[in-house]
Amino acid sequence: MAGEDNAEFYLRYYVGHKGKFGHEFLEFEFRPDGKLRYANNSNYKNDTMIRKEVFLTPAVLKECRRIIAESEIMKEDDNNWPEPDRVGRQELEIVMGNEHISFTTSKIGSLVDVQSSKDPEGLRIFYYLVQDLKCFVFSLISLHFKIKPI
Amino acid sequence: MANADVEAVDFEPEEDDLMDEDGAVDVETSPRAPLPKLKSAITGGSSSLSGPKKTKGRGFREETDAERNSRFAANNFESLDSDGGPGPQRSIEGWIILVTGVHEEAQEDDLQNAFGEFGEIRNLHLNLDRRTGFVKGYALIEYENFEEAQAAISAMNGTELLTQIVSVDWAFSNGPYRKRNMRRRSPRGHRSRSPRRRY
Repeated sequence: MAGEDNAEFYLRYYVGHKGKFGHEFLEFEFRPDGKLRYANNSNYKNDTMIRKEVFLTPAVLKECRRIIAESEIMKEDDNNWPEPDRVGRQELEIVMGNEHISFTTSKIGSLVDVQSSKDPEGLRIFYYLVQDLKCFVFSLISLHFKIKPI
Repeated sequence: MANADVEAVDFEPEEDDLMDEDGAVDVETSPRAPLPKLKSAITGGSSSLSGPKKTKGRGFREETDAERNSRFAANNFESLDSDGGPGPQRSIEGWIILVTGVHEEAQEDDLQNAFGEFGEIRNLHLNLDRRTGFVKGYALIEYENFEEAQAAISAMNGTELLTQIVSVDWAFSNGPYRKRNMRRRSPRGHRSRSPRRRY
């Protein structure tokens, strides 16, 4: 069911914190109709929010689904993951086929945080999946919107 | 929001025939949220969930922060000009294609050799799997013009690269993807709920 191209698909990732420079966060969203929305906010040096959106082709959504399926994140649970705290918060919400996960946890600084948690196996999957998704989204957004200097 | 009418109805599991079909949902969701809903503010009915889902995670049990719903509700997201149709969309300085099924040991040179003959490659992203260090499996390639990108797609889609078959297609589109069976789903979406108690 999860492998069908016509099955429901939605993904949202958020990482952020509130502090001296306001609500600093990164968030992106893959919507079922193919729209990728990206937002990055900080008030550092009075900076303002960056918001981009673009429609992706089914081929890109399919690759995103493959990355998620391969990670096996849908089998995990955030029961034993650290709760969000003052340092920050991460949220990962995915709908794939007939499964819907909505995980929240604190920021993860490095593998040390993963190893010392109560669910190192699950948190490691989350940790690497988030990095892979960020790579994918940053590539898509920067290729589509960024002008090369020179 | 498309699910607003569901939220207003009282949730009484023993009487509501609709909920009995999916026992797994009862266990995971809080009493205040009878059916799982997406937390971010997704505008438009086209993105409502099509049916009951198995749910997991703290996100369903938390209070929704009002600000969260407004982050994606705003309509001032930047985008490039589009004709709204389903065809491929030009990116800021060229046309971008997505290659999938790339062998994990592929190198940029392999892609340059295979795809360079269709036109000068302006940009190439061959991302690595952050855990293993091998190639993640996809590549994004930019050509200056449409014809070069189209030639690459036509010639390379379904062909073999380093012993593996790759798929090649456009990355960006001018408009939303319309699911072929979307309209046929409406009988389910308009299914009526069990009759309300009258006393």
